[in-house]
Amino acid sequence: MLALIQKLLRLLLNGFKPLLAGFQPASLNPLRHLGSLTIFFFWIVLVSGIWLLIFFRTSVDGAYESVEYLTHSQWYLGGVMRSLHRYASDAAVITLLLHIVREFAFDHHRDKRWFSWITGIPLLWLVIPLGITGYWLVWDRLAQYVALATAELIDWLPIFTDSMARNFLSDDALSDRFFTLMAFLHLIGLPLFLVLGIWLHVFRINGPKINPPRLLMSGSLLAMLLLSLVFPALSQGKADLETVPQNIGLDWFYLAIYPLVDSWELAWVWALLAGISLLIFIAPWLPPRASRPVARVDLDNCNGCERCVADCPFGALTMMPRSDGKAYEAEAVVDADLCLSCGICVGACPTATPFRRRSELVPGIDLPGQPMAQLRETIIEASQHMQGQRRVLVFSCAWQKQANPGGASDTAVISLTCMAQLPPAFLDFILSRGHADGILLLGCGSDACTYRLGAEWTSLRLHRQRDPHLRQRVDSRRIAMAWEQPWSRYADPRTLLSVFRGSLEVQGASEPQTRPASVYLGGRAIAWGLFAAVVGLLSVWPRYQPIGVNEAMVSLSFSHAGERIQQCRQRSQAELDKLPPNMRKPADCPRERHPVSVVFQVDGEERYREVLSPSGFWNDGESTFYQRFPVMAGSRLLQIDMNDSGSPDEYHVHTQSLNLAPGEHVVVTFDRTQQEFRIQ
Amino acid sequence: MSLLQWKPAYSLAIPSVDLEHREMIAMINECHQRIEEDAKPETIERYLGEIYTGIGAHFALEESMMRRAAYAEYEAHKQDHEELLDQIRDMMDLYDQDIEAGRRELQEKLSDWFGRHFATFDARLHDQLG
Repeated sequence: MLALIQKLLRLLLNGFKPLLAGFQPASLNPLRHLGSLTIFFFWIVLVSGIWLLIFFRTSVDGAYESVEYLTHSQWYLGGVMRSLHRYASDAAVITLLLHIVREFAFDHHRDKRWFSWITGIPLLWLVIPLGITGYWLVWDRLAQYVALATAELIDWLPIFTDSMARNFLSDDALSDRFFTLMAFLHLIGLPLFLVLGIWLHVFRINGPKINPPRLLMSGSLLAMLLLSLVFPALSQGKADLETVPQNIGLDWFYLAIYPLVDSWELAWVWALLAGISLLIFIAPWLPPRASRPVARVDLDNCNGCERCVADCPFGALTMMPRSDGKAYEAEAVVDADLCLSCGICVGACPTATPFRRRSELVPGIDLPGQPMAQLRETIIEASQHMQGQRRVLVFSCAWQKQANPGGASDTAVISLTCMAQLPPAFLDFILSRGHADGILLLGCGSDACTYRLGAEWTSLRLHRQRDPHLRQRVDSRRIAMAWEQPWSRYADPRTLLSVFRGSLEVQGASEPQTRPASVYLGGRAIAWGLFAAVVGLLSVWPRYQPIGVNEAMVSLSFSHAGERIQQCRQRSQAELDKLPPNMRKPADCPRERHPVSVVFQVDGEERYREVLSPSGFWNDGESTFYQRFPVMAGSRLLQIDMNDSGSPDEYHVHTQSLNLAPGEHVVVTFDRTQQEFRIQ
Repeated sequence: MSLLQWKPAYSLAIPSVDLEHREMIAMINECHQRIEEDAKPETIERYLGEIYTGIGAHFALEESMMRRAAYAEYEAHKQDHEELLDQIRDMMDLYDQDIEAGRRELQEKLSDWFGRHFATFDARLHDQLG
């Protein structure tokens, strides 16, 4: 079931590939840099945010006006910065979600890789509130809606006894302090934790990519800049708590959950959020899987050169003080909890050369499941079965999902856990010893290497840019590297093989024909344009109507303490004498209060009935009511009955006839001093 | 007679490097001995493969030390390493084709290279790291 979902997601991601064909070479593929692109968008948001902060005023009245000033009077800079701030944060959500989908689809979240996966969950939980508080600060109609709905959502949690949503019912109730709190969260609190979280997310892996390639940085910045100029981010009218926003442009990247807040029970909304988080949390172990034996260090062959440490993509290797008494300083040590048995370390070990004949081929580090000595025997055996003038030995990575081009007598296929498991000396060995005339390396995908860096290391080693490198003397035209690329005309390895075999006769393998740079540029422009369009569109569209066109809203909002259940009683002298001297209060007053029950009716139709216990450990606090109802506009008769004494006849009753305009917002409160209801 | 002789002056005062230098010299001498005794080409090839691997690993260690110490002459020193590895690798093929020529190569080039490399590159490395 999960495997099927993963397969579908892989198909989906592959569907992007024709669109991304302009990003050549493959190392420029944005799908390969989703994490670092997200971080890059975060930098854009940070820089533009600092500009906004300079002009922003943290008060109920100042917030909206200062943002309006930025957007209109200073459109050429402040306006652009505001738009960049919004769109880059929207773009970050796209790359973030794709990042999650991709890592999941390619199984990169499994088992021993749980750490990076799970430390990503808090990042998600930081980014979304960061966006929500950002929309809040603008204090326009959208902010008003977001504030109220968020407060209701948080009120469901048993954290505050009083209701937070009640702050957003009338302009009088709202204070500047709330903006200071929001500004603190948005400007310092959440970003600080986010940076910390990003560090935690990447620090355990080897050579994490923090910055995308420059071409991607400039492309994404340009796309966001153009979007900002063509389609500037605007406020949606000043917040007015006397009315309810009837039609707002919702940023679906951050606020998609809000329509659910309106239409679902809040418990279900929280259950959904918690359920998704939990599912992500346990995903690395769904279903549990046995791990293969991890890499093993052989001290007789290890001199502590650190090449394996440098190449391990997962930080599973560390150098430790020498334990066997030899004159070496250090030795490599495998952390079994981090080792994925990919064999990339073996490919990096200078002692893993097949030319060793006098001693056994035991490298300083080896995979017990597929040792190098056995690989050499497999190669020699395979070569003995090949015939012809152009024999090609194919090394196929176990994760590449294409058809294997085996079968013919001039071809042999050997499977490897990872392409970077193969030390370059083996290629030298095979060609110089005449075990084959050509070597084809079929990897699982340079943009989706199962073991993160396998494709990269293989390519660098073969291009003599990283040790251990392929020696100059080896005829590189006899070696072809091909990564899985389902969208290209070289998709079928059999085609690839016949092209390669053909090139072995004429001198040198022909590179796949490269198209002129302008074609790539055009392709990239289209891809970025589409990306920007999706960002711009979903940040305000489809529009959302929190209440119906002909509806007004009535909010019940008050705290009221019920009467005490028992009257005070004078203690007798005998009772007082029994008590310690410091506790001899003359009256005994049990603190517990009656619950408060409320019934609310519109035009005689009951809309709300609730009995709330007093708050507090001793059941002696107030009962707090907060509820809002959409009510059809027009002439309506509201009636509210409240009982706070436990006796069935004593009701505070209030009836009032109102003419409600569409979008109007009225609040029912209880005046404590006058002990009566008011409708404002 | 042995081809190469370890001298205290060759010491870099780094125990691991000195140990491997001695081992390498011993291995090369042993190989040389075999050639003098006119051993079979397969045996020689086996020795050379062993030397090639051992020296490759030794260079990997030395280079990693140089990188960690941000040694200024790293590039030139590494270049010299690569040249020797290429020479040994060439010899391995030469022995396949012409055992006499291979023998000459081994005697001349290896002793030359080691004498020169110890006197120049490794001496400078000693001043820096040792």
